[in-house]
Amino acid sequence: MRPDDRSFRIALVADGYVNPPPGGLDALAVLAAAGWGVMQLPADDYPAGIAARVLAEVTEQAEEFSRHGYDFVLIGQRDGLAGALGAAGLAVPDQITPSDAAELLAFLNARPAPPPSTWTWLNSADAP
Amino acid sequence: MGHPGTRSDRSNRSKQGVAFVAHCLLNQNSKVGDGAHCAGVYSPIVDVLREQGWRIEQMPCPELAFTGLNRFWAVREQLDTPAYRRHCRRLAAAVADMIAVRAERGEDIVLIGVEGSPSMGVHITSSDPARGGRPEWPEGTAELTSGEGIFIEELRQELGRRGIVPGLGGETHALPDHDEATQRTRLESVLDDRGRGEQ
Repeated sequence: MRPDDRSFRIALVADGYVNPPPGGLDALAVLAAAGWGVMQLPADDYPAGIAARVLAEVTEQAEEFSRHGYDFVLIGQRDGLAGALGAAGLAVPDQITPSDAAELLAFLNARPAPPPSTWTWLNSADAP
Repeated sequence: MGHPGTRSDRSNRSKQGVAFVAHCLLNQNSKVGDGAHCAGVYSPIVDVLREQGWRIEQMPCPELAFTGLNRFWAVREQLDTPAYRRHCRRLAAAVADMIAVRAERGEDIVLIGVEGSPSMGVHITSSDPARGGRPEWPEGTAELTSGEGIFIEELRQELGRRGIVPGLGGETHALPDHDEATQRTRLESVLDDRGRGEQ
């Protein structure tokens, strides 16, 4: 058995921060260093119908994380996201549109620590 | 800046194509309990894709939405139910729609799965027809076997119906002989082959 290193922290990330243009902010590098997971939002160049299906799938997965207390933030923005989340009873998480890595990192570091996991195996004194 | 590497200096390379990656490669929080190798982003795969100039697109995790965060570790036979197949086909159709958009623009496509996964395995999945009931079996029980995971199988079939043949690569952390340098070399080979137009 080895430790499970998950962070219980997830960022919904606009495509432009996952696949930045030249000179743009590579949010994946910042999030990797800060220990956040990523759920990528569909690129703006997808047709509306395809994007809506992707947002529905993102929402379905976010529902599962949310009911287990995982922390969410939104980096950038994506049309249709608020509606998709709202249809599942989820609010749009705290959001930032960072211009540089330092701004994003400061935002992430200011988040409160996620609540302790309810997984007994993760919290057990016997855990590795 | 104080944060080297966080500006997209490597994005000046021309994009080679689009890598559709398993959800957990960007979000280890989606892993089955005790399965997260790192806090969030699994950088060894991302780094190779960035260096090679590939665009990154994240696929959904088929197990997360269907069986939840509290799921047990499972082999392919346990997940291979009609309902899970329908779930995977629904997700695969959505991913195939995205891939078709990229392919119609002439962009090359690779799928990056997770070797050993009952859902996302590309060349190696996990199998044990006898497994079921109370989850007790000896540590180290042989379950890794050649083959695809269920979602990858459904996605490749859907892409095949659309005449799209993607390149295939896999993250190998779950394999007993995992070696990060070997994983990197294999992925680079897959990307290079696609860049030369080989399939």
